[in-house]
Amino acid sequence: MENTAKLQFEQPSFFKRLKGMLSVDFYRLFHTPLLYIFLIIAALIPALVSMGAMGGEGEATGMFSNAWQIIAANSPLYVISDIGEYANMNMVFIFGGIMISIFIGHDYKSGYVKQLFTTHAKKQDYMISKSLLGAFSMACMCLTYLLGGIASGAFTGLPFEINAGSLICAILGKMIMSLGWASLYTFINIIFRAKFGISIALCFVLGTGIPVIGAAAVIGNTPALNIFLYGSSVYACLSANALTLFICLMNSVVWAVVYNVLGTLILNKRDVY
Amino acid sequence: MNAIEIRNLSKSFRGMYAVDNLNMTVPVGAIYGFIGENGSGKSTIEKLICGHLVPDGGEIKLFGKDYSDAGVRVRVGALIESAGCFPNSSVWANLMMQALNLGIENRAEEIQRVLKIVRMEDNAKLRFKSCSLGMKQRIGIAMALLGNPALLILDEPINGLDTDGMRIMREILVDITQNYNCTVLISSHILGELEKIATHYGIIRQGRMIQELSAAEMDARSRVFVTLKAKDMAGAEQTLRNKFNTVKREEDYIRVYDVNDTEAIVEHLIKNGHIVSEIKKNKVGLEEYYIELMSKKEEA
Repeated sequence: MENTAKLQFEQPSFFKRLKGMLSVDFYRLFHTPLLYIFLIIAALIPALVSMGAMGGEGEATGMFSNAWQIIAANSPLYVISDIGEYANMNMVFIFGGIMISIFIGHDYKSGYVKQLFTTHAKKQDYMISKSLLGAFSMACMCLTYLLGGIASGAFTGLPFEINAGSLICAILGKMIMSLGWASLYTFINIIFRAKFGISIALCFVLGTGIPVIGAAAVIGNTPALNIFLYGSSVYACLSANALTLFICLMNSVVWAVVYNVLGTLILNKRDVY
Repeated sequence: MNAIEIRNLSKSFRGMYAVDNLNMTVPVGAIYGFIGENGSGKSTIEKLICGHLVPDGGEIKLFGKDYSDAGVRVRVGALIESAGCFPNSSVWANLMMQALNLGIENRAEEIQRVLKIVRMEDNAKLRFKSCSLGMKQRIGIAMALLGNPALLILDEPINGLDTDGMRIMREILVDITQNYNCTVLISSHILGELEKIATHYGIIRQGRMIQELSAAEMDARSRVFVTLKAKDMAGAEQTLRNKFNTVKREEDYIRVYDVNDTEAIVEHLIKNGHIVSEIKKNKVGLEEYYIELMSKKEEA
């Protein structure tokens, strides 16, 4: 007991706290198979979509007229008329939701979350770290989807003609949207915690964009739908430009802040384990 | 300064109070034995201290600061209910994750250090799910020990350990309090083990603290008694009852409470024609003290 005077408690800065949480999350991400499985899935999706687009004799059925349509639609269409307008890089957000649900679900199922919340008094650390990790994972999935898309496009023999600037804006736009999506999925998962079956189902429904597609069917193909995550994700299409990127950035960051603040409030008010 | 200071803490689940207006004080450097029956609220209190549960009311201070202080909480190590490890990851990977979480710089060395403390240095490559219950408990302790915690909260850490495991655990806890300036809050049903290491006790019942005392205070409060065997047990018991206030028969022994003078007992028995074959001075242990206290509360 004579050592009492030696006890000193250094206040960790926000960045030091976040670095600790991010380090453990990324260590886990790279040392377990989950991310790699989803990266492969993301790369295989365009191949499956392309196979679906092929006719019986190896000819394109007319679902796509350009290889880059596997990546994004030609124009921001919220009302879906055929699967070709829907089946593109946006599907990464569905799989990202499932991946985040499994990742966070395992935190709770294993009980590791107890260690995190014991040493991290500030619960925002958990929300921010998981949102950034999810955003990184989905951005990586966008890249493997792109590679898979290029390979599939080459396989189907569709033309690759495109405005390179618009294509880059579309891909970057979707990668930027990953942050907003990841924050939404993290928010959903801290509500349902270990019940990750419910989280997966909800992430799937929201990731498919069904609520926005439904709203578009009622109110029409209006740019107002860009305020939603799915709306802006669709907006990042093959006619995208710098403004599209800006809108995606604003939308993603604003939703990320909203979900992180709400998530932190819930974590502060509710029992965490 | 106290390591833990709790005032009027309450926590309810669906209207039922698991912790009811509880006060608790754990001095710095203590090994605080937290005792109570199943469902008395021990784990709930530990979870409240660790910030896993949100209290309905009251105040929790750790080392004089609010328990939500980030600087203090990063120095808290805990093993509550289970180790909280990823089953498919190795022991090393699980410890590495916790070391990263704590922002420890010399991670490999620190992991080696704690593995050595819990005598697990040869099992670092094992998958957590392949470890035995005792090994899992020790890994949980190792995780809690990473980064030299100022406060260690251990919920039933000796459950499932064999005799040797219990001895190792005892040595670890004494070592970290004496050499690493650590305070330990430990709950256990194995009171005999707790008695060997605890410097302070907190006895809890139905979410309320019914008694807090130091080991020295408990020692002073514990009743002394003499156990003896006589040739004619029934006759000797009756003879002793005539002179001493509390005499109890327990299986093959007679207990004479609140008497320290064995000579007086022997003399009295011999004077009345009894032959004493065995006699020994004793003191009520933690287990008996606890049972006695609980039965008094029950009666009240």
